[in-house]
Amino acid sequence: MIPSSISRRSSRMSRRDPTSPLRHLDPVLLACTAVLAVIGVVTVYSATRGPGPEFSNTYLYKEVLFVLIGAVVMFIFTAVDYQKLHDWAWVFYGVTTVLLVLVVSPLGSRSNGAQAWFAVGPFQMQPAEFAKISLIGVLAFMLSEFRGDIDVRRTAALLGISAIPMALIMLQPDLGLVLILTVIMMAMLLIGGIPTRYIVVLTLAGVVGVVGALNSPVIKQYQQDRLTAFANPDDRSNPAVYNIEQSKLAIANGQLTGQGLFEGSQTRLGTVPEQQTDFIFTAVAEQFGFVGAGIVLLLYATMCHRILRIARIAKDQFGTLVCVGVLAMFLFSVFENVGMAMGIMPVTGIPLLLLSAGGSSTVTALAAIGLVLNVHMRRFR
Amino acid sequence: MDTASPHTRMSVLGVLVVACFVALFARLWYLQVMESPELVPRASAQSQRTLAIEAPRGRILDAKGRVLVDNRTSLVVSVDRNIFAKINDKDAFASDLAEVFTKFGTPTKTSSVQRRIAASQYDQLHPVPVASDVSPEVMVFLSEHSEEFPGVSVNRETMRVYPYGMAAANVLGYVGRISPEALKTLEAGIDPDTGVAKEYNSDSFIGLAGIEATYEKDLRGVPGVETIEVDSKNRPVGRVGYQAPRPGSDVHLHIDIEVQKRAEQALVDKLDVLRGTPQRDGVIRKAPAGSVVALSPTDGGVIALATYPTFDPGEFSGGISQERYNELLDQNGVSALVDRSISGQYAPGSTFKLVTATAAISRGLINGNTYYNDQGVYEVGDPPRPFSNAGGVKNGGIALPQALIVSSDVYFYWLGDRMDGTTFIQDSAEAYGFDQRTGIDLPNESAGYVWTAAEKKALHQKYPNAYPDGEWFTGDNVQLAVGQYVITATPIQIARAYATLANGGTVYEPHVAWRVLRAGSLPTDAGGILRTIEPVVTGTIDLPPAVRDPILAGFSGVTTGLGTATSAFIGFDQTNFRIAGKTGTAQVDGKADTSLFASFAPVDNPRYAVAAVMEESGFGAEASGEVVRHVYEILADRPLTAVSSATQGTRD
Repeated sequence: MIPSSISRRSSRMSRRDPTSPLRHLDPVLLACTAVLAVIGVVTVYSATRGPGPEFSNTYLYKEVLFVLIGAVVMFIFTAVDYQKLHDWAWVFYGVTTVLLVLVVSPLGSRSNGAQAWFAVGPFQMQPAEFAKISLIGVLAFMLSEFRGDIDVRRTAALLGISAIPMALIMLQPDLGLVLILTVIMMAMLLIGGIPTRYIVVLTLAGVVGVVGALNSPVIKQYQQDRLTAFANPDDRSNPAVYNIEQSKLAIANGQLTGQGLFEGSQTRLGTVPEQQTDFIFTAVAEQFGFVGAGIVLLLYATMCHRILRIARIAKDQFGTLVCVGVLAMFLFSVFENVGMAMGIMPVTGIPLLLLSAGGSSTVTALAAIGLVLNVHMRRFR
Repeated sequence: MDTASPHTRMSVLGVLVVACFVALFARLWYLQVMESPELVPRASAQSQRTLAIEAPRGRILDAKGRVLVDNRTSLVVSVDRNIFAKINDKDAFASDLAEVFTKFGTPTKTSSVQRRIAASQYDQLHPVPVASDVSPEVMVFLSEHSEEFPGVSVNRETMRVYPYGMAAANVLGYVGRISPEALKTLEAGIDPDTGVAKEYNSDSFIGLAGIEATYEKDLRGVPGVETIEVDSKNRPVGRVGYQAPRPGSDVHLHIDIEVQKRAEQALVDKLDVLRGTPQRDGVIRKAPAGSVVALSPTDGGVIALATYPTFDPGEFSGGISQERYNELLDQNGVSALVDRSISGQYAPGSTFKLVTATAAISRGLINGNTYYNDQGVYEVGDPPRPFSNAGGVKNGGIALPQALIVSSDVYFYWLGDRMDGTTFIQDSAEAYGFDQRTGIDLPNESAGYVWTAAEKKALHQKYPNAYPDGEWFTGDNVQLAVGQYVITATPIQIARAYATLANGGTVYEPHVAWRVLRAGSLPTDAGGILRTIEPVVTGTIDLPPAVRDPILAGFSGVTTGLGTATSAFIGFDQTNFRIAGKTGTAQVDGKADTSLFASFAPVDNPRYAVAAVMEESGFGAEASGEVVRHVYEILADRPLTAVSSATQGTRD
């Protein structure tokens, strides 16, 4: 933990103690994260307190608790040198895989048509969320070991390692998470140095796979409906069309400056199904308008920019790849979730990280940011 | 290019980040700024519901300003069907509710609660009324036990109330919930002050009969609008807007409720007395129905319009059951919901001699001094067919006035014979307003008919089975001359014909309503009168003294001396109030005679024309004449007498 290069810079940055990485936190990324987490808590509360006159605080307390837990986890993921986490990558992966097996066993519980949760007291834990981090870790481990020298066999190994959690999650099923894992994998393979022709082949295979799946019984009717609803917004027989319609109405109702906190009629009255989770963006957009929703998007964009920057300046490829994985996770979840709410992306159950209600996704997102901060703090060799 | 530099690939990622956020921003701008003018109204339409609040209907006043129809508030218990649908034991819920109503003074069957909850005419959002006029105790009990009765609410609603009970029910009509067909076709009235349309919705109450129906556009108020917010499951969350309803305009009638009540009472009493007794030829009088009309000859205003049997409009206020409605439709074979005074079609009998006499003098066939020797029988055709006076009475040599006073049929058979081959009588009838609706401002008026030879032929050609005979015989014209067989008329037509003679030849459209008043105003208030329903002259008939005087001389003698109606007016002081009239006894195959009496008074300056028609009641004088007399008692401010039990009329 005493990189030799620190001394080279110490003359210019004398006020900084090179031995204390915590002093090299990325304040912008941290601030964006904190602000989004607070907005998330407030928005979830606004979307769940009910129309009144008596308001429910259940979600408020839960979300505050999740953010606090997430903050602790983030601190741990930041404080412990990521080189150590590098060594533990397989352990995380193994534990997550076991949890994914257990959750589809009778130990797991079922909700909303998916066997995806462990009941932990009054809470529900969703191990598939943690699979995002463990896949990032293990792929970063492997790719950094391969050092850009990737042949068919190694590609197969990477795909195989990725396929295990994906297959287990498909059993639940949770199509959205599988999609996220796929995007994380593709982004990391791209930066990890896989030959371009493999990427082309994989992309083609992916397209064929998606088209094939959509026309096969593997994908259930409701999933098909959700995926294709955005393409056929006038198909009234499709229940997902209703969801998108409601979502668009609520967003439009925010107009330029928003209806104001707790003043959005659609949010208050709960016209958008799943609005505290997958459709939380509608609550942001209706209450805070284009200005507020734009700021939220800008915060995400700034985060993505900072993560990308950290990926570039990381001291090793493992660090770079972790950042790329986290970037892919954030970028895709924001684009897919917000795009879905606005009717330009298919409906899949992907939470808007940091904003959507739900402990597992919030803790995972904060842990991921912790990892990126970790890489940033320890960017000096 | 197979192994692009990591730097290039990182740049690809950067471009992707930028592209994604640009797309999201663009879409967000499009939805919230560009598209929002179109989407926002849809969003609020979805979260808000507007409920129409029925406005109190206008009152209906009689000529002297007495309130005939008013509003009152009623406690109505309603059930929210959205909540009811989630109740597990629906039968227990209904029976518990019925029990509560019964316990606190409104006996209610479980089945009636169930039937009302299931009624299809309400939209899902609007709670269905299951009981009205419940006691305040029910409201208290239900609010204290709201957990046991989810979705049950008690509200104050305005209902029609009738201070004079059943009086003038046929005129006033009743209200009921709008039918889906009417909802589509009914044109909304306009509020006189605001110009706002009085829109309807599926819960609206509308006038279904009588003045309530005819003056629906005036009586109806502008519904209030309550805007409530509902959640995604359509449950009300709170009120966001309220616009108070505006009550409808009042309608001021020509009807005098005291005269009306007198006419109704005399009619029902006399029918009761006659019912079951034999008439002169031994046929039993069933006396099931009758009607009385009192008009103002000077403007066509309807002073009274009685019919029997009738109904209690209060029964319709809270919605009437189908069973009860069916009962009203069949009261010993006759409907209580039919206003016989305007839709009953009867052979006018001798009351029609007014028309025949007018035709005969006007066409120059006779004058007031043309005598004919009435030998009791008149024969027409070959082989001769005899037509005789009632009871075969021989009146000897008589001119028109005497023929009217003693009701000589033979004199008129002779006139009918002489006018055979012409349409003189029909033309005269037409001029007096027969064979056409009078245009009275009440629904369901009948036109009656007065056949001509051509019409009889046409009917035969069109319906050969129903009308086996297409030829016009002299006998037909002879019968027409005395108002039988080829003619029917409504009581209002008969009364109007006598009013026309009374006023010298002006045929008015009868009007029940006089004017429309601003809600709650007096006619004397500034701006209180919104609209006066002006008299309408539908025609005139030329009645020079040469025509009118002999007829008047005859009618004036009917109620005195040798007149056929003298017995009905015994004891009625005609000083300064001479009554001119004509009895009628129309034969109906296999039944007792229809008794008619048509009249006007005072003879010198007629202010009233009164006619009565009573089914299966016998001679004109003994039934209708007496009923009319009772009406005149109140009109002339004479002592009121009870109906007589005398039923021995002998002459028509």
